[in-house]
Amino acid sequence: MAKDSTTVTEPDSQAPSTETQSAANRARDLLTPEDHLEILRQLYLTRYFDVRLIKEKRRGRLRGTLYSSHNQEAILVGTIFGLRPTDWLSPIHRDMPAFFLKDLKSGWDDPNRMGMSIQEVCAQVWGKATAPGRARDNWSHIGDAEKGIICSTSMLAGTIPVAAGIAYDFKLRGFDGVVLTYNGEGATAQGIFHEAINFAAIHKLGVITIIENNQWAYGTPVELECPTKDVADRAKGYDIPGLIADGQDVLDVYDKTMWAVERARRGKGPSLIECKTFRAYGHGDHDDDRAAKYRNSDDVDKGRSRDPIAVYKAELVRLGILSQAEADAYKPEGKHAIETTDEDFPPAVVAALKEAVEFAVNSPMPEPDEAFRWVFAEDQP
Amino acid sequence: MSVVAEQAAKKNYLAGLREALLEEMEARPDMVCIGEDIGLLGGAFGVTEGLMERYGPQRVIDAPISEAAIVGVAIGLAMQGRPVMAEMQFIDFISCGFDQIVNNAATMYYRTAGKVNLPIVIRGPSGGYGGGGPYHSQQNEAWFAHSPGLKVVCPSTPADAKGLLTASLRDPNPVIFYEVKELYRKRDIEEPIPDNHFVPLGSASIRRPGNDVTVVTYGNPAYLCLQASDELSSEGIDVEVIDLRTLVPMDDETVIQSIRKTNRVVVVNEASRTCGFAAEVIARINEMAFEYLDAPPLRVTRADTPVPWVKPLETAVLPSVESICDAIRRVARF
Ligand SMILES: Cc1ncc(C[n+]2csc(CCOP(=O)(O)OP(=O)(O)O)c2C)c(N)n1
Ligand SMILES: [Mg+2]
Repeated sequence: MAKDSTTVTEPDSQAPSTETQSAANRARDLLTPEDHLEILRQLYLTRYFDVRLIKEKRRGRLRGTLYSSHNQEAILVGTIFGLRPTDWLSPIHRDMPAFFLKDLKSGWDDPNRMGMSIQEVCAQVWGKATAPGRARDNWSHIGDAEKGIICSTSMLAGTIPVAAGIAYDFKLRGFDGVVLTYNGEGATAQGIFHEAINFAAIHKLGVITIIENNQWAYGTPVELECPTKDVADRAKGYDIPGLIADGQDVLDVYDKTMWAVERARRGKGPSLIECKTFRAYGHGDHDDDRAAKYRNSDDVDKGRSRDPIAVYKAELVRLGILSQAEADAYKPEGKHAIETTDEDFPPAVVAALKEAVEFAVNSPMPEPDEAFRWVFAEDQP
Repeated sequence: MSVVAEQAAKKNYLAGLREALLEEMEARPDMVCIGEDIGLLGGAFGVTEGLMERYGPQRVIDAPISEAAIVGVAIGLAMQGRPVMAEMQFIDFISCGFDQIVNNAATMYYRTAGKVNLPIVIRGPSGGYGGGGPYHSQQNEAWFAHSPGLKVVCPSTPADAKGLLTASLRDPNPVIFYEVKELYRKRDIEEPIPDNHFVPLGSASIRRPGNDVTVVTYGNPAYLCLQASDELSSEGIDVEVIDLRTLVPMDDETVIQSIRKTNRVVVVNEASRTCGFAAEVIARINEMAFEYLDAPPLRVTRADTPVPWVKPLETAVLPSVESICDAIRRVARF
């Protein structure tokens, strides 16, 4: 993004735009064909997880609200894929898959990888004692310090200052890790969002703020949440890079993220990355019907017309990594969650979820007595 | 009225709230509503349904997700003499606007030596029993009852919802208004609501008269207390249930009168125990009616924990008919 000439900038605080970035320094160019195939598998897995939950929810098997990540998968996979196991994440309500996507490339079944297992995440959704927080809070409100995941509250943008604290610790220790926080564009209106980024910018902390701009915050359009043309422009006030990524294009998200991550590792401080996308369904599953009242169906069709799975497969065919026949083997793209079948997904993806859901269903509920425990640290697990 | 007509006239809690808002917006062209998703969507629960269609986006503001700004803007509007309704999407999120409420709104009249009053109602869905977890189950009224300058209201019936919201919107002070979201659409509490219904702030209601034990409560636990009373009547314990409806100002008189008759009292609040509003009620009873007590007053509250998500855990920490019955029995048999 071009900086105003009056702004004091350091040479490399210029964020790359898609046009100016030379092919030679794009992170994507270092990806191997195996990496690409893993990214594709992760996109399928992310979609299938959501599809499966939507179906379970409709059958009345889950409690709480489901905030679908459909159509936003490229943001989750693209921001997480290039991270080191020791980096940290702070996902929010719409990012349920992020908990298992973290460090997923170390091996889907690796119990020691620095991310939650798909089983654990399902146990959380099913409200079981095997969930990371033993189901004391719902859905995305889980964390694990050993795996580098901040446990969030419902209060939007509330984990950005926590991320800054973690990054400050990294700085004290001379460690070059980064912390990624996820936020909807609506959450950028919270005071704490600005206080936290301000702090991170002053201290040049490795905090990367991912904005999933899906155009809607519940029933309120982005124009009523944010006065700047792009949400990324909010970065200007803190003299940090504000990058814009095509949220439907996993490789663009990956490039922009890795640029910000490498910069942060060099001690140059935070960045903000706005990933432009579109919310596929209602705000939560409770809002699927009401959403038709405030969003017209043409806009919804348009917003969903560039399915991230289709966009990526087309690129893989262009790169010669997939044949057209291989690209066509599994086609969930463009379909409403409830229209998809298991045949639309690779068997390994379906099997992974099947096993995870079985684990969740067969796990015990927490005992009622647990409700009184762990209020104070004297009560050890 | 025929049975059918009477049925038709029955309204739920949410309808009571909505009517109050619509009528006040109609009667006061200077009134403004502000909150997240209250306009286009009509509110997360539909309390403001139809408001924007009727009164336009100038008077019904779809605010950004900025609770501090929502309250602060409400203060500015109210300083100009406008009545303001500010919605918190869930009352749990009121903490994000805490400073503007307790430091700015609550103290404005005091700091200006009575020159600037703020007719603001900050309202939102509250309470547990719905499996909402720590951030969608709060009943955090004690924070605000503890801040001089704020009135605090919590209706439990459809008619009170309307009558108290109307009174709150006409009150010259900032009012924190706790709506019980589990009651919004509860069928078996529906009732007819008189036109122009108004319930003055600071008046409790006796939901069930009785002679043996007084139970003081408000909000959702009012129904648990009524159920407990029914159960205990078969054991020969005649319970009087008082619904405070307004915590600040509190109707001391109704409570004390009742205790003069029963000489025994249990106070029930849904929120956590330490420094919950039940503690305040018991302190007042000790100050004003100690000589009438034949048994130590007891309280039934949530445990001193957050509200956990899954049902068995949530149930374990919240007041129940059982825990209320136990306390009443103990007081009755003391
Ligand atoms: C402080 C706070 N206020 C209100 C809410 C209620 N709320 C939950 S999600 C949401 C909309 C969020 O929109 P956005 O940030 O754009 O994320 P999206 O849901 O679109 O992914 C609101 C208002 C909340 N969680 N936290
Ligand atoms: Mg959004």
